[in-house]
Amino acid sequence: MTTHWCDFQNADVVMNIGSNSAENHPVSSKWLNRAHERGAKWIVVDPRYTRTAEVADIYCPIRSGTDIAFYGGMYRYIIENLIEPNLARHLAGEKVEEYNFEYLLNYTNASYLLNEGYEFDPETGLFSGWDEETGSYSAASWHYQVESESEWDTSAGGAYAWAVGEGVPEFTPPVVEHPKRDMTLSDPMCVYQQLKRHYSRYDMDTVCRICGMDKGTLELVYSTYASTAAPGKAGAILYALGQTQHTYGAQNTRAMSVLQLLLGNVGVPGGGVAALRGEPNVQGATDMGMLVNEHPAYLKWPNTTARATLRKWLEGETYSDGYYTNKPKFLISSLKEWFGDAATLDNDYGYDWWPKVPSAVGDQDYTHISTFELMSQGVIKGYFNWGMNPCHSAPNAGNARRSMANLDWLVVVDQVLTEAATFWKAPDMEPAEIDTEVYFLPCALIYEKPGIILNSGRWLQYRFKAVEPWGEAKPDYEIVDMLWREIVALYEAEGGANPDPILNTKWDYYVDGKIDPRPVAWALNGYRVAGTECDTSADDPKVDLLSGYSELAADGTTACATWIYSGFWNNNDAPLDPAEQPIARRDNTDESGLGLYSNWAYSWPNNRRILYNRASADTEGRPWSAEKTLVEWTGSEWNQVDVGDFTAVSNGVPVPPNNNAFFMLWEQNARLESYGMVDGPLPEHYEPFETPLSKNIVNGSLNNPVFLGKDYESTKHGTAADYPIVATTYSVTEQWQTGSQTRMCPALVEAMPAQFIEISEELAAEKGISRGDKVRVWNNRGSVVVDVVITKRMKPLTVDGGMQHLVGLTHHYGWAGAFGTSETLVNDLTPNVGDPNSQTPEFKAFLVNIEKA
Amino acid sequence: MAEKAILFDSSFCTGCHGCQIACKCWNNLPSPTGLNESGFSGTHQNPPDLNGHTRLIMTYNELEGGSKGVMWAFGRRACRHCSDAPCAGICPSGALRKDEETGMVAVERSKCVGCQYCSTACPFDVPRYEASGPLGQVTIVEKCTGCVDRIRQGMAPACVTTCQPGALRFGDREEMLEVARERVEVLKGRGYEDAVLYGENEMGGLHVIYVLKYGVEAHGQVPNPQASPMADLVGIMKPLTAVGAGAAVLGFAAMFGLGVGYKRKKLAYNPETGDTIDVETGEVVKHGDGQDEQSVKEHIFENLPVRKGDGHE
Repeated sequence: MTTHWCDFQNADVVMNIGSNSAENHPVSSKWLNRAHERGAKWIVVDPRYTRTAEVADIYCPIRSGTDIAFYGGMYRYIIENLIEPNLARHLAGEKVEEYNFEYLLNYTNASYLLNEGYEFDPETGLFSGWDEETGSYSAASWHYQVESESEWDTSAGGAYAWAVGEGVPEFTPPVVEHPKRDMTLSDPMCVYQQLKRHYSRYDMDTVCRICGMDKGTLELVYSTYASTAAPGKAGAILYALGQTQHTYGAQNTRAMSVLQLLLGNVGVPGGGVAALRGEPNVQGATDMGMLVNEHPAYLKWPNTTARATLRKWLEGETYSDGYYTNKPKFLISSLKEWFGDAATLDNDYGYDWWPKVPSAVGDQDYTHISTFELMSQGVIKGYFNWGMNPCHSAPNAGNARRSMANLDWLVVVDQVLTEAATFWKAPDMEPAEIDTEVYFLPCALIYEKPGIILNSGRWLQYRFKAVEPWGEAKPDYEIVDMLWREIVALYEAEGGANPDPILNTKWDYYVDGKIDPRPVAWALNGYRVAGTECDTSADDPKVDLLSGYSELAADGTTACATWIYSGFWNNNDAPLDPAEQPIARRDNTDESGLGLYSNWAYSWPNNRRILYNRASADTEGRPWSAEKTLVEWTGSEWNQVDVGDFTAVSNGVPVPPNNNAFFMLWEQNARLESYGMVDGPLPEHYEPFETPLSKNIVNGSLNNPVFLGKDYESTKHGTAADYPIVATTYSVTEQWQTGSQTRMCPALVEAMPAQFIEISEELAAEKGISRGDKVRVWNNRGSVVVDVVITKRMKPLTVDGGMQHLVGLTHHYGWAGAFGTSETLVNDLTPNVGDPNSQTPEFKAFLVNIEKA
Repeated sequence: MAEKAILFDSSFCTGCHGCQIACKCWNNLPSPTGLNESGFSGTHQNPPDLNGHTRLIMTYNELEGGSKGVMWAFGRRACRHCSDAPCAGICPSGALRKDEETGMVAVERSKCVGCQYCSTACPFDVPRYEASGPLGQVTIVEKCTGCVDRIRQGMAPACVTTCQPGALRFGDREEMLEVARERVEVLKGRGYEDAVLYGENEMGGLHVIYVLKYGVEAHGQVPNPQASPMADLVGIMKPLTAVGAGAAVLGFAAMFGLGVGYKRKKLAYNPETGDTIDVETGEVVKHGDGQDEQSVKEHIFENLPVRKGDGHE
């Protein structure tokens, strides 16, 4: 998230949408309640009345999968009620109390002019740049008109002299484009005017038709949340998988960002876009690049087109301005960590040893959903299943387990025998017909090994081992090490099709000959290559750790696997003692008075607690709210209560305030409109893959034109004629995801002994279902039998004039387990389609039918 | 040490079950370990009631109305630690007694004789019993101890310590009452007109103080709780247990029979008059015309249950 858990206390309005924080993130309540006690208003937008809705002030129901319509309506509300009536006053120099024009004009791209070719056609539901043949967009027309251009100063003593230094791979620096702007926001091609035009279709009646809420409630939500547009006020959006698990999930996230920017809520205390991550290390897993398109620390993997060579990568990925001008330093340092001494200037630091993601139009997709298609086709024959349980958690789980039966071999690394480890034991499988060889490697639980965890607020902590692992279980890194040594030995002995990437990989994280997470921490922090040997002795460690990422170089002299973490483990006086590193800090005094707790743990990047905090002050460097100061220009220097997220000092000289509030973008202004998405520059409402409606109410395209998985036969699309009920899935406090761990705890099984479907009293009456019954839920993909909760907390909605039933299912049970099990898996029902940007599956909106079992 | 109290503020509660689980963990209370042995209640309230291994449950009551259309009234069901604790008053063996320092009703299970009087007396239906002995024929009282063990070490009760939203607090009773009174006013100011403080005077004053957002009954609390008439009735017999050993044996035995009689037939035997009465109606079912010790014992052993269960009531 852009902020951190403790910062919720500073919010004036809190809005949970697509998240149920009280249920799924219990610790959040501590900070949210503080805000509430200080008078904050709390809104919950959700298909059902959740545990969070109970503690909130306002509850607004919504049909699953219609969030963008909801946000679009709020943009229109803000434009109509706050911006349009006051813009002229602001431009005339009047002080406007209720809207932060200074933020909109100076810190966002509202004033930027888009290319003349940019347009959106409501008739087709398509943006400009659509290629019917490939079914994809070209983003060219979504870019800005250019006022002027300038070039990097790479001369000796110039700001970019490093880019042509010795050891730096040759690349042509990007040209700095200076976009055309209209600071009066009147040019029809400026982002603001396009935004206004785009969302003119999203009036409240239309939003209610799509989303199914009552107009009075919607208006109350809009007016309450839009009150945070006043300078000095902050609204926090708390979201989770209810936003991301859609065929337009990334656009949902964009939509929240646009809303927060329109209201001036990004970078201020109590604001932000708060992604509530799951298990403590989900944020860490994301940082580590656990997606096929994301290299560790949010760099991009090589691919077969735009990033096919190192030079292409450097020229295409390096930003022309802002902090990402330093990307070559991050990438070369990563390559140096990856391939060590084998990475040299002459061989492009080993860039070509990295695998390349197939990226030409029509190339095979290897993301999560598609993996199972490739298994069923016999393309993928072996599968490492490490720390996940896709037989349970993958969409269309029945398809996943049937696909796994096609594997020659499967390795499962887990703490318990999961559904994935026992996929052949599923009630509908025939073990005698399955030839897959399954290996199970028991691994240590989090408390049985030392290591690093990271929470949603980007705080890193080191955890010491509490107890020994059970039996033969080993920490994951020991398992990796054993496998690695065997694989390398085989390559050395037998050669192989492509040995270089393996044999040149640097793998030396040993202390006294034993694999150890501490030298790995050196690699994550970064060090000077010259003075460092990761393969170390405990008595005499040789390492020259970097103080932070500002010391990274693009010439091969530094190595760093994860640039964003640099600084978290930088104490050269005790490099093997976790307790002596920034990551181990345990001082909970709060000098800020804002709950920053800057001396507690370490927050990436650079111990910054609130990202984009430059935007907490005006263009003169004066905080919007004197009581909520993060950074402040004193007239001669910056007072940094939080570590400034901008260039505060250059060459030792304080940099006076300017409008570069978002320096992780080349514009250094935040994007209301963005050309970075594959499915459109502005969030547009499309229906879920399976929808109760036959047409999209706001445009001519029913679904997101480029969603992932549309061609897979296994998805077995269902229509409202057969499956009239909208379903979604969610979790309960008492169980964690597939339940592999929590169902091993009898007390948790006792507290939540079953997975269930929640239905309204109206639907129960219609279907003759009573408390205590079992209910069969089915669609084209599967049929499951679950317990029922008949509840007043779920109500039918009026959608496009008709009554629409909604149901929700929890998904924690399966056949594996010792205390609590279920014959059926809820994810047999969910569709294996996903978002085209993130490849996240659409778990949160699909169609089913139900009957008393 | 001043009198202590746990404060349960329903308006902060998120019904997360954390307190219920923490209670089980701290007190080593087992959960069912048979495959799918725990049945599902059809709501979030699992297990549905207190039982011989569960001293605290969260309750989940759904009501129509309110500004949000529906009200999900979370409640907390466990011992309220009354000042005038009828269970401690009636307990013949000293297994239940008021902890004078804290005001909690402490439990010393080794002293329990399984008479189940406390259950009869409790206006909140709290005490449960764990069956033990070779045939499960001995029942031992199971209820919240107020974590007196932790309090004496300067700690808060386990349920309080685990509560993330701050719905549970612990401290001096007067201070908790003060917090609760203020909180009720805040809630009323926010439009929760039925918000009420509960526990200040009930049963002489409870040591679990409640802030109930939607009123007493919405959160599963007992309006105007009264000790069962049984408590007075049996109180008469208490002196019996205080005199010589022989009389004490008889006293225990008589009360044992009484308790069992109540549980099984809702009948009670008054050794002072020798009458057997129906507890619910107060009618004399059998007059005490010349019942001697022997017939009392026979009455007891006729009614002595042989329990097979595992203590789940």
